[in-house]
Amino acid sequence: MSTPIETADLGKRYGDVRAVDLLSLRVFEGEIYAFLGLNGAGKTTTIRMLLGMIKPTTGYAMVLQTRVHLGNRVPWESVGYMVEDPHAYPELTVSENLEVARRLHPGTPPKTVGQIIERLSLGPYAGRRAGTLSHGNAQRLGLAKALIHNPRLLILDEPANGLDPAGIVEIRELLLELTSTQGGTVFMSSHILAEVSRLAGRIGIIHEGHLLQELNIDELERNRKRRLLLRARDVESAHRVLVAAGQPAVILQDGTIELKNAFSIEHPDDINRMLVNADTPPTQLMVEEEELEQYFLRLVGMEAGLQNE
Amino acid sequence: MNNFSAMLWIELRKAIRSRMPFWTTLGSLFMPLGIAFLIFLAKNPELSRKLGLVSAKADLIAYSATDWPSYLVLLAEIVSAGGFFFFILAISWVFGREFADGTLKDMLAVPVRRSSILLAKYSVVAAWSAGMALINLIFGLVIGAIIQLPGGSLSVILHGSTVVAITVCLIIAVVLPFALFASVGRGYLLPMALSVLTLITANLMMVVGRAEYFPWAVPIVYAQGEGTLTPISYWIVIITSLAGMLATYLWWMYADQNR
Repeated sequence: MSTPIETADLGKRYGDVRAVDLLSLRVFEGEIYAFLGLNGAGKTTTIRMLLGMIKPTTGYAMVLQTRVHLGNRVPWESVGYMVEDPHAYPELTVSENLEVARRLHPGTPPKTVGQIIERLSLGPYAGRRAGTLSHGNAQRLGLAKALIHNPRLLILDEPANGLDPAGIVEIRELLLELTSTQGGTVFMSSHILAEVSRLAGRIGIIHEGHLLQELNIDELERNRKRRLLLRARDVESAHRVLVAAGQPAVILQDGTIELKNAFSIEHPDDINRMLVNADTPPTQLMVEEEELEQYFLRLVGMEAGLQNE
Repeated sequence: MNNFSAMLWIELRKAIRSRMPFWTTLGSLFMPLGIAFLIFLAKNPELSRKLGLVSAKADLIAYSATDWPSYLVLLAEIVSAGGFFFFILAISWVFGREFADGTLKDMLAVPVRRSSILLAKYSVVAAWSAGMALINLIFGLVIGAIIQLPGGSLSVILHGSTVVAITVCLIIAVVLPFALFASVGRGYLLPMALSVLTLITANLMMVVGRAEYFPWAVPIVYAQGEGTLTPISYWIVIITSLAGMLATYLWWMYADQNR
């Protein structure tokens, strides 16, 4: 399987600060790869290195099998991108901005301007100056500019930023369509795991310039912590019953009993039977899955910090 | 070449839609208009006394522009000093705006040579500046006719206009390196600030008698009637211009672009 994006020991230092450190990743053709990290984690620096805007201090990046160098003209005819906030020429209309983007990709037919306006629902704003657009519509315009030449690879920095829920769903469908029907590849950054988990096939988590983990979406499900939470009228008795049965039950501050062992999570019916037989039936019983954002913060080691706040 | 025409279309469209060429040209017209007003005051001392205006400076200007040849020299001088600022404004806008508006990143990972993009930008700056100068020249000539300066003939006006045109070319040449300052400074401020410093230095070089070796003073000296200029002076202008453009190209090619 070909790899539209491949990096080896890619790194960027600014003085003593390592913005990105020894980043090695591969993005496979036809997949949506989400590059997840907190603000300042190194996502945008990585994207700029992939696009040949910043010179790496270590390693290299290959995009569409071409080694990226500053100032190169290849392989950009097949790459669409959006870096950080979308910017456009404020005095030009949406159509004119797209015409500029079209001419920056020689060979793109003039009719694509109208097509992309329709595809991204920008019709009502086509004649409006870009400087007067809302943030959401400016984001759509940025995406339209990235897509106008029908690229094989899309590199997007926080594409859902500023979009309303309907816009997010629209973008999600657009990206899924690009990969499923046109065989395109998407590399997108985000700081919201829940957002990318519905879209990406694979996720790379970056923190303080390091790639912490790369995982498939099903691995993400497996890795998330789960626990059984139960309530009873007589919490102490219920707790005693469970401990006596060898279950590592813990009473939380709010009086809920928590069980984290695999047996309890896989067999809540057996736990229920135990308590009913001991005449301390649960009033509430549920298996709770760790929130995606909690999981993400746990990975980057910030969970404790947030809990203390 | 096809890419260049596409880039030229882009740069022209951006400049025209910004209305900056219109406003800068309109602003620059105050230069010949101001001179005409001073000559008019000097010629009408009664009026200036009535209006309570001090006419000493007006007299000075008027005495130095009593006929067409001297008026055209004055026009060339105004273009060389005032035009310099307006041309800097044009180049600061064309280059600096990409940084100020955050649009530079959209031109970096594209299948077009950076040299085509830069050449289109330089072409627009040159056309914008030359257009501005041409309108000023025509306006100045019309004013000269209106105030009925003596000593005018087709050959005098043609010669004077040629001096203005060559002065404009020299200024455009020495203004082109300011694209580097707009790029390095990532906006309008650095080239504008350096233009003031450059003009002060040019004046200083004229005072100490070394203007012929300072590229930004050469157009002023030329406008005043060549004076101490030698072929080396023109070479210095050409080399400065080319070196500035090359440095800008290298910066666009190899500097990290974080914005």
